[in-house]
Amino acid sequence: MAILNTDGTKPIYMQIAEWLETEIMNGHFQTDEKVYSQYQLAEMYTINPATAAKGLNLLADENILYKKRGLGMFVSENAKERIIQKRKNQTLKRLIEEVVLEARRLKIGETELIDMIKASQSGGGVA
Amino acid sequence: MSLSTVNTSKVVKQQYILKLKANFDAFSSLVWIQLLAILFSLGGVASQGFQSDGMSVSIKYFSADMVIAFTMIWGLVTAITITTKPYRYYDFSFVTNRVTSSLSNILYLCTASVIGGVTAVMAKGLLIIIGYFFLDFQLLDYYSQPFHVRDFLIGNIATVLYIIFICSIGYFIGALAQISKLFIAVIPVLFVGSMLLDGMMGREPIAMKILSFYFQESSFSLFVVKTLISTVLFFAASISILNRMEVRK
Amino acid sequence: MKVIECSNLTKSYLRKKVLNQLTFSIEENTITGLIGKNGVGKTTLLKILAGYIKQTSGEINVFSEKPFNSLLVSANTIFVDDQMSFPSPLQLHEILQAAGSLYPNWDMTFANRLFHYFSFDPKHYHNRLSKGKTSTFNAIIGLASRAPLTIFDEPTTGMDAAARRDFYRALLKDYLTYPRTIIISSHHLEELENLLEDVLLIKDGNNHLHLPIEELKEQAIGLKGAEETILNWTKDREVYYKNQIGTNTLYAVVRNEFSEQELQLAKENEIEITSVSPSDLCVYLTGETKRGIDDVFIDR
Repeated sequence: MAILNTDGTKPIYMQIAEWLETEIMNGHFQTDEKVYSQYQLAEMYTINPATAAKGLNLLADENILYKKRGLGMFVSENAKERIIQKRKNQTLKRLIEEVVLEARRLKIGETELIDMIKASQSGGGVA
Repeated sequence: MSLSTVNTSKVVKQQYILKLKANFDAFSSLVWIQLLAILFSLGGVASQGFQSDGMSVSIKYFSADMVIAFTMIWGLVTAITITTKPYRYYDFSFVTNRVTSSLSNILYLCTASVIGGVTAVMAKGLLIIIGYFFLDFQLLDYYSQPFHVRDFLIGNIATVLYIIFICSIGYFIGALAQISKLFIAVIPVLFVGSMLLDGMMGREPIAMKILSFYFQESSFSLFVVKTLISTVLFFAASISILNRMEVRK
Repeated sequence: MKVIECSNLTKSYLRKKVLNQLTFSIEENTITGLIGKNGVGKTTLLKILAGYIKQTSGEINVFSEKPFNSLLVSANTIFVDDQMSFPSPLQLHEILQAAGSLYPNWDMTFANRLFHYFSFDPKHYHNRLSKGKTSTFNAIIGLASRAPLTIFDEPTTGMDAAARRDFYRALLKDYLTYPRTIIISSHHLEELENLLEDVLLIKDGNNHLHLPIEELKEQAIGLKGAEETILNWTKDREVYYKNQIGTNTLYAVVRNEFSEQELQLAKENEIEITSVSPSDLCVYLTGETKRGIDDVFIDR
C-alpha cells in the first residue's frame, strides 16, 4: 500500500499528479500508454476516486495526459519533455527562490552560495 | 447502485419469522406458566361433602380453567412487552416501516395465541391423566362417551379467540403507554373507579356488562364475529397510534 | 441524481432548535463527511434521514420520498451507529442471517469473510461484545448490506487503530467495486480525509459549509511570524483563528485570497506559510471565537 505525505502541505490530488509525472519521466509509462485509472489509484493509495480523478484531470489540463472516452487516460506525445519543462519552471524555480531567500537571511553572498551548489553537485555534502 | 423495489408482504413475512425466533423465550415461559397452573389446579377448586346413614361422600371439584386464565395473562403480558421501546427499536436496525412492524407483531401474537390456546385446552387432558394415575380420579361415564370433535374444536377456537382478543387489548394498552406513561396509571384508576361508582349506585358494574357481552354469548358464530371485530378494532387502533411514534430518540 | 434533498429543515426539542433551517443536497454515489462539534445536530439529522424521527418543519426527501415510514427508503438505507440493537436471544450469525433476509443487496459471503477476519465467534451474543467489537460488528452489517444509502454515525467508536484502518480500507475497496452514497459522521476528520469527496460542516444547526474536501483544503492558509507583521498582513482579511506563540510570534489562519506574488512577498517578509488541514480548519470554523481553553487557566 503506497504512502502519502499526509502532513497537509500538499493536496493529495497534486501528490498523485506528481507521482504520475515521475513515473512518466522514468519511463514507466510510454507515449500513448494507458496510465492507472482513478479506481486503481484510489485503491493503491486508499483515497477517494474523485480525488484521484482530480489529479488525472490536472495532468490532462496540462496536456501530459489525454483522455480516450470510456477507455481512460493515456500519456501524450512529448509528455516527458513537457514534464521536465514544467518541473524546471515551477518546482525547481520555487526551490531556488527559497534557497536564495534563506541564503539572504543568513547573509551568505552570491559567490559562497554558488560554491555550495557546486560542492553539492559534485556529489556528497557541502563543505 | 440501483434502488431495490420492496414488497410489503415479503417484509412482514420475514419480520414475522424473525420475531418467532427472537421471542422464543416467550414460548418457554408459556410452558412453565401452564405447568404452574396445572400444579395449582391439582389442589382442586372446590369441595363438597355430605354424610348420611353410614355413608359419607366427598366431592372435590377440579378445573382446568386456571391454565386458560394463566395463558390469557401470559398473552396480555407478551403483547404489552412487544410494544415497549427495546422491542420496537429492533425492527429499525434493518428494513421496516411502522405498519410492517405492527403487522408482523400481530401475526406473531396470533401464532402465540394459537399455540397458547391449544396447549391450554390440552392441559385439561393432562390434568385428567395426572388425576387418574396419582389422585385416584374416578372416570365418569361422561368420558366413555364418543368424543365430539365439533365440541373440541369449538372449545379450542373459543379459547384461542379469547387469547387473541386479550392480546389485542394488551397491544393497545402498550401502545397507549408509549404515548405517555400516564396511561398506565389512568386505565386501572378508571377501571376501578367506575366499578366503585357503579357499586355505590347499585348498578351492574360496567365491567360485568362488557364481560357478559362476550362470555355469555350462546351462539358460537355470533361470538366469533364479536370477538374478531373487537380484536381487529383494538389492533387497528394500536397500529395508528404506533404509526406516528419516533424511534431511537 | 440527488439522493438527499433537504430544505429549511428544522428540528426543535421543546424550545431548543437543534436543526435550524438546514438546506443541502447530496449527490448519488459520493462519500460525504458530516462534521461538527458535539451536540450540533449531526445525529439528529442522520436519524431524520433514516426515518427514525420526524422534522419539526421543512422538507426532506430521500430517494424522492419522505423517509418517515417509507419502506422504500428503509430497504435502501442502513443506519449504523453504536446503538444498533438486536433481539438478545439471537447469536451473531443469526443476526447476519436476519440482515440477509431483509436487505435485498446483502452479500453473505462478504459478511462472513469480514466476520472471520475480525475474529468473531458466531455463537456469541451482541450485548456481550466489547465496545470496539460492537462497532466493528455493526460496521460489518453496514458494509455487507450494500445499501444504496449507507449512513455511519461515529462508526469507529471504541475501535483500536488497526481496526479503524481496516474499516476505512474495507469501506473504500467495497465502494470502488459497488459504488453507493455514503455519509460518515465523525470526529476523526484527520483519519477520514483521504476517503471523503465532500464535507458538510454543521454549525448552529445550520449548513455552514458544503464543499469538496479538496476545496476545503485550499480555503485557508496559515501565516506565522512576528506579531506586527502578521497583524499588518491580516488587517483586512477574514481571520479564522489567531494564536500567540511565545512573546512575539503570532500564528493566524486566514482566508486564502492571496496571489502567488503576495505569497512570495510574505515569504520575503519572514512570514512562514503553511497549509491548514481540513480537520484543523473545521475546528476553527466551528469554534467559539471568544474564548479558548487557555482561559480556564488564566489566573494560575
